[in-house]
Amino acid sequence: MKTYSELKEYIINRKHRKLRRKIQVNLAEEFHTAGYTPSERMTRRFELMCREEKPVVFECERIAFIRTVQNLPEIFTADEWNEIKKNHYIHELGFVSNVCPDYGKILEKGLSGLKENADSYSVRCLDALISLVGKYVTEAERVGNTDVAKRLKSLTERGAENFTEALQLFRIIHFALWLEGNYHITVGSFDRYMYSYYIKDIKNGILSKTEAESLVEEFFLSFNRDSDLYPGVQQGDNGQSLVLGGLDENGNETFNELSQYCLKASGNLMLIDPKINIRVHNSTPLEIYEAGTELTAKGLGFPQYTNDDIAIPALEKLGYTHKDAYDYVTAACWELIIPKYGCDVANISALSFAKVIDKCLHNDLSTCKNADEFFVCVKNEIRRECDSIADGLKNLWFVPSPLMNVCMGCNISNGGKYNNFGIHGTGIATAADSLTAIEELVFGEKISASELIEAVDDDFGSTPELLHRLRYETPKVGQMSEKADSYLVGLLGAFSDALENKTNCRGGRFRAGTGSAMYYLWHTDEIGASPDGRRAGEPLGTNFSVSLFANIGGPLSIVSSMVKPDFSRAMNGGPVTLEFSSDMWRGKDVKTKFAKFIRSFVLLGGHQIQLNSVNLETLKDAQVHPESYGRLVVRIWGWSAYFIELDKEYQDHVIARQEYRI
Amino acid sequence: MTGRIFNISELTVHDGEGARVTVFMKGCPLRCEWCHNPEGLSFEKQLTYKRKKCVECGLCRKECEHGECKPFGRCLHVCPNNCLDVCGKDYTLRELVGILNGYGKITEILGGGVTFSGGEPLMQWEFISEIIDNLHGMNTAVETCGYVDGKIFRQAVDKLDFIIMDIKLFDRELHRKYTGVYNDIIKCNFRILQNSGKPYLIRTPLIKGKTDGADNLEKIKDFIGDSDWELVPENKLAKSKYNMLEI
Repeated sequence: MKTYSELKEYIINRKHRKLRRKIQVNLAEEFHTAGYTPSERMTRRFELMCREEKPVVFECERIAFIRTVQNLPEIFTADEWNEIKKNHYIHELGFVSNVCPDYGKILEKGLSGLKENADSYSVRCLDALISLVGKYVTEAERVGNTDVAKRLKSLTERGAENFTEALQLFRIIHFALWLEGNYHITVGSFDRYMYSYYIKDIKNGILSKTEAESLVEEFFLSFNRDSDLYPGVQQGDNGQSLVLGGLDENGNETFNELSQYCLKASGNLMLIDPKINIRVHNSTPLEIYEAGTELTAKGLGFPQYTNDDIAIPALEKLGYTHKDAYDYVTAACWELIIPKYGCDVANISALSFAKVIDKCLHNDLSTCKNADEFFVCVKNEIRRECDSIADGLKNLWFVPSPLMNVCMGCNISNGGKYNNFGIHGTGIATAADSLTAIEELVFGEKISASELIEAVDDDFGSTPELLHRLRYETPKVGQMSEKADSYLVGLLGAFSDALENKTNCRGGRFRAGTGSAMYYLWHTDEIGASPDGRRAGEPLGTNFSVSLFANIGGPLSIVSSMVKPDFSRAMNGGPVTLEFSSDMWRGKDVKTKFAKFIRSFVLLGGHQIQLNSVNLETLKDAQVHPESYGRLVVRIWGWSAYFIELDKEYQDHVIARQEYRI
Repeated sequence: MTGRIFNISELTVHDGEGARVTVFMKGCPLRCEWCHNPEGLSFEKQLTYKRKKCVECGLCRKECEHGECKPFGRCLHVCPNNCLDVCGKDYTLRELVGILNGYGKITEILGGGVTFSGGEPLMQWEFISEIIDNLHGMNTAVETCGYVDGKIFRQAVDKLDFIIMDIKLFDRELHRKYTGVYNDIIKCNFRILQNSGKPYLIRTPLIKGKTDGADNLEKIKDFIGDSDWELVPENKLAKSKYNMLEI
């Protein structure tokens, strides 16, 4: 490969995957027999992986490192895992995830520098990594890429001294942290920790702006080399989230030239990684929204926007320091986390609002005299559910992570400065609409409680008129209905109340959120039909959305509803997710108008928002002819994905979201 | 007083300054062959039917007690997939003013406003005029075909903030052939608009073989002079609307 464009084609067409091999080794058995501690096992596996990795350097590249070993051997046997799970709550895969390393420190100190004050496991990991970098130096020299060889050699001894070195060092550490077995390792505020390197080079005249732009693009491309090896619920769910802009602790906007290059690089590449998040606030200039809208219009499903004016005070209220709150970034999707210090488990569990309604419908409705009484039952049930979720989260344990430890400001697996747990909230619109329907029909004496319960249990099989009325003629969130909106506000408030004074097993607190993650499908299966006319099996909305089948007024009505709740106590994350048809971007000033629309959401006090732009016919055709749509991108819940790589149920949900909106 | 409306659309981006709310008024004096809002042609309420979603359960054919269903011989309140709807709903002044003022804050931030479209909104000018009197300072616009009594047209131009007017064909015979009416009134109204001092935009839909000929476009250009002019590509999506109306 002689040129960058050849390299780009090579990676985009996934030809690099041929470089990979699998290793066959039963580490878990070996470790078990030897009786190694978890830290010893993590260290040994990392040392092995660094030995097994075969360096590959392309002649034309400026940023090296690519995975060649496909699999990470297990470090515990199945029996050992069972034993661990007897005494501990294990979050997802059990390894550290959804954190943001202290990239500033890493770039400054370099691999050798990170050894200062590190324990013996961390030092061994760093030594193993430095050896691997050494092998890359030899390989780079062999293929004649002397620039890369020189840079890598320097980086084994010291920190980054210029922009290109900083990008290369980031690449090495990000690669290594995945190789260690951590996952959803986020990118954080790239335009902050990289800026000093960039501006120094520009000032010294050793880097031109054009070169910087093309470096950022090549850097972005590197996120797409190994991402298919990174675990997630679906392909694309890999946590490579990057944050741009936002206020610093002195109240200054941080969006800079680098941020612009990032948006441009993303638009040029049209790849799903890294996923872009933009921090905005009441004085964010329109041009930033316009630049973001360019990507939305291209159909990348990002940027996702988070409102500093909501997020920062909410974080401070929860005990994050002023500086840390201003440094917040997003986890894999949209959960707020703090780089360096945050050991929050931002996605530890989820409350199903829809299930709460289902329970109260069956247990309480018949005995309630009015809607207020019923809502008290709902609030009590939310409290019980939250208690039960919290009680289930005891003795949380993560597999130790020696390399990640030195990249953070704390021993990450044991917890750090912040140890809060984030709880998602699914199906809030379904719940609010159900409560509205119950108030109007049951307490409005149109039907009795038992008639409604019977109809719901029967999936409305013999009550078509009631079904029609509930689905299409009863007010819903997103229809400028005061009543439905007040339930939306009340439900989220009750969720925040229920979690407010709880302490978790690590001494941290709980954070209520409006996200759904994959629970929008999982929670659907727990219940049958619901009183809003949703039939059994029909999915709940994604994140903080209106109901899928609601005849919504339109985007302005949705926004009017969704900015109403008090997010200062429900800040964990979870964006309003809006669907637009890709053919609406044509015409004069349309992107500016959309940029103003997103800005209006922020000015009205919305928390987070993301927009999907796809063509329904294209999606349907892609299900039939996947081979023609390799790079068709859609937004799922907090990440963008290639449509054809998703399981059908996730594809169908995206299609349903579109069908109802047009 | 009531106005007959067939849709209220939010975040419309092609109907004037900023992102807006567009109110589609029912009824139009023209019958353009290519009409992309066919549901706005007739002033009468019409039954619409989404054939693709229909599971042929037959529930809508059973007799019901609802007065509003009577004219259509179908029950509108029973379809499990919401296939049936009535195109055209009468709003009182109070209702519509309430709805539109509800958007006041957000449209202000958006730098948008309200646009009356259709159909031909000026056919219901009296209603629109009263609505505008009751809006709290919202920017107002109209999309008109210009085929309306000169006195009404003048009043509308005076009251509205922005006027979007179609000039589809210059030749009066061709205009009659493709739209059903001669364009003399439209041309007169254009001069009223041009001399009004109000900001406006002229639009010409580009319909293959009908309006997109160089001759037509040149004549329109000569006629409107240096007016803002937009050529609008044909809306291919309109076909599905014809199916829904079973026209």
